[in-house]
Amino acid sequence: MNLPVIFTIILLLPLISAAVITLFLRRSGKLAECASVGSGFLIMGLSLYVLLTWNGQTFHQSWEWLRFGNFSYSMGYLFDNQASLMLLVVSFVAGWIQLFSVGYMDEDEAQGRFFGGLSIFMFSMLGIVLADNLVMLFVFWELVGFSSYMLIAHYYKTDFANMASRKAFIVNRIGDFGFVVGIVWCYHHYGTLDLQTLANIITAHPDLLGTGAAVGIGLLIMCGFVGKSAQFPIQVWLTDAMAGPTPVSALIHAATMVAAGIYLMARVFFLLPPFTQEWIMWSGAGMTAFAGLCALGQTDIKKSLAYSTLSHLGYMATALGLGYPGLALFHMAMHACFKATLFLGAGSVIHACHHEQDIYKMGGLLRRMPITAITFAIASLSICAMPFFAGYYSKDSIISAAYLMGANHGAVFYGVYVLVFVGAVCTSLYMGRLFFVVFLGQPRSEHAEHAHESSAFMTIPLIILGFLSLTAGWVVYGWTWDNGHMIWLLPASCVQVFIGDFNLIAKQVESSSLGHPLEILDIVLGVAAIIATYFFYGRARTGDPLAAKAPGVYHLLERHGWFDDFYDWYVAKVQQPVCEMFGSFDKLFIEFGCVWGTGLATGLTGSLLKRAYVGSLHAYVYWFFAGVILFWAYAVGWL
Amino acid sequence: MTPGLQAYLTVAGVLFAIGFAGVLLRRNVLIIYMCLELMLTASTLALVAFSRFNGTMDGAIFVFFIITVAAAEVAVGLAIIVALYRRRRTIQVDELNYLKN
Repeated sequence: MNLPVIFTIILLLPLISAAVITLFLRRSGKLAECASVGSGFLIMGLSLYVLLTWNGQTFHQSWEWLRFGNFSYSMGYLFDNQASLMLLVVSFVAGWIQLFSVGYMDEDEAQGRFFGGLSIFMFSMLGIVLADNLVMLFVFWELVGFSSYMLIAHYYKTDFANMASRKAFIVNRIGDFGFVVGIVWCYHHYGTLDLQTLANIITAHPDLLGTGAAVGIGLLIMCGFVGKSAQFPIQVWLTDAMAGPTPVSALIHAATMVAAGIYLMARVFFLLPPFTQEWIMWSGAGMTAFAGLCALGQTDIKKSLAYSTLSHLGYMATALGLGYPGLALFHMAMHACFKATLFLGAGSVIHACHHEQDIYKMGGLLRRMPITAITFAIASLSICAMPFFAGYYSKDSIISAAYLMGANHGAVFYGVYVLVFVGAVCTSLYMGRLFFVVFLGQPRSEHAEHAHESSAFMTIPLIILGFLSLTAGWVVYGWTWDNGHMIWLLPASCVQVFIGDFNLIAKQVESSSLGHPLEILDIVLGVAAIIATYFFYGRARTGDPLAAKAPGVYHLLERHGWFDDFYDWYVAKVQQPVCEMFGSFDKLFIEFGCVWGTGLATGLTGSLLKRAYVGSLHAYVYWFFAGVILFWAYAVGWL
Repeated sequence: MTPGLQAYLTVAGVLFAIGFAGVLLRRNVLIIYMCLELMLTASTLALVAFSRFNGTMDGAIFVFFIITVAAAEVAVGLAIIVALYRRRRTIQVDELNYLKN
């Protein structure tokens, strides 16, 4: 089989599955599960087949789809090292999460709708991975937004899920508006939207990036990333999106869709001028520390993890801003492993505790759910970047890269280093807090008392992803097998995209005097933070100890810096009056002036002309005669 | 002495004026219709006269067509008047004002 055929199969399989589920299997949840999970594993297999047989040459093929005058719109596949890593992450994680969903959704009434949604999400996400031009990418970009909206609103009978889904959709629209304007401007400025052609143009004329237009395009395309990856200032939707079922949070709002923003930025990295990169770097680093702190103020296990996702998206953004898209993608892949494990672990706990999400109603689950607890612990250590866990390799490189930026390019970049360092310590704090409160101590509620280990549908994905959270990072040591097709656990083609950046950072750390001591300091502080949380949170009986000791600080963290309150105020007090002003213009000018005005004028003319209609033939003859005279006068030029 | 173009046109003009006055002043639909025909005939006469004095036959041939069409028109017009009378029992235009209101 050749590549375009396989890509088309990979792309269409989930669409077919979604169509079959929507049309025929809405009432038969078990069959819908089979269709969705089956297509998920088929995609996983096909992707692995592609990745193992691909020769490493960038593959690009497109077909014209629409033509408007000079503008031709094509659809096609661009498969390079970045796409190969993303394809691996999406297909692999999605397959296991779909299997997990079978266990998690076993008592749900609308399994058909849920699995149909997962399938349509897979279709959209794979489209983003394979898209070769910005328009096609944007189409699938909107489709993931739609599927995210649909899956957040799965429990549509609760107000909160409804509002969260709308919030996610509307906030994403704001980012996507900038994105679409950026795409149009990009076409206007560079004359093409094809990613490869764009890259060639920029490579041939690097000075093009110096113009104001290039900065504008970069910032506008970045808006798409800011919306989808929930970066400052429109990060507010991601934590509310946790209203959806937990596998959705794991797949869409942790592992893949929010990482699509990072993928987009890596894809168009050549389009980003230094100013845009700097913006991404600072906003990402700020988000790392800020969201890390906010995670400490949440009692909902999923919300706490959602803030952790924000924080780690901040790491990826920082890596992008520092000029290492490879590192960003590396962290994206590692993050997909350990964050999926964490969310699935949380899902397993929530399922066992009958949909209780408050961590202070859990406790003592280590003995009751050992597999969940151990995988959760491994993923926690991984996200805290403990040595030899997967997260260590990617996250520590980013922190070191930030430090090296400060050392080599001016002290102001040390600010970035401090922010990501604070973020790293916070990671240890909130992960330690979650683990000790949920899994140790005594059960704090009836449900936690009677919790027991989840079914194999849920534990097998947990074990596999947990294993990867421990080991996936070892790929950097370069142990090859299968004639070099595989490097440790990853197909060799997926490693190319980040290994260069990783080795570069490692080499610079070697040669810099403070590189290693700072790394050790990071680890020591992380371990200290975990131990501290054990004493601070681990023995809490009811409620959050921080809320009891420092209610003001806790409230700030709980409301995550009053972002939502500010936006509520803005929408109600600023946007609404402005809208009403424009609305009154519409009412006065359009509705009254144009619509009613036309009607009134016509009616008046009609009632005037009706007077001429006297019902006497002779009167009409006089009218006719007068008309003839008028015409005659006009014809001879008297009028 | 043969009459000149002016004489023919004068007759045509007088005929047209009589017809027009009839349309304006008479109340009977039948009479009004006859007056309309008179006006048509007046214009035909003018056409024939022009044709004769121009020395071309175009106008004369045109008049044949007009007469043919006028004959058909009279058939239709009279039929309408007869139908109108059967329906309304009057052909006085003063009383035929149903379109008003």
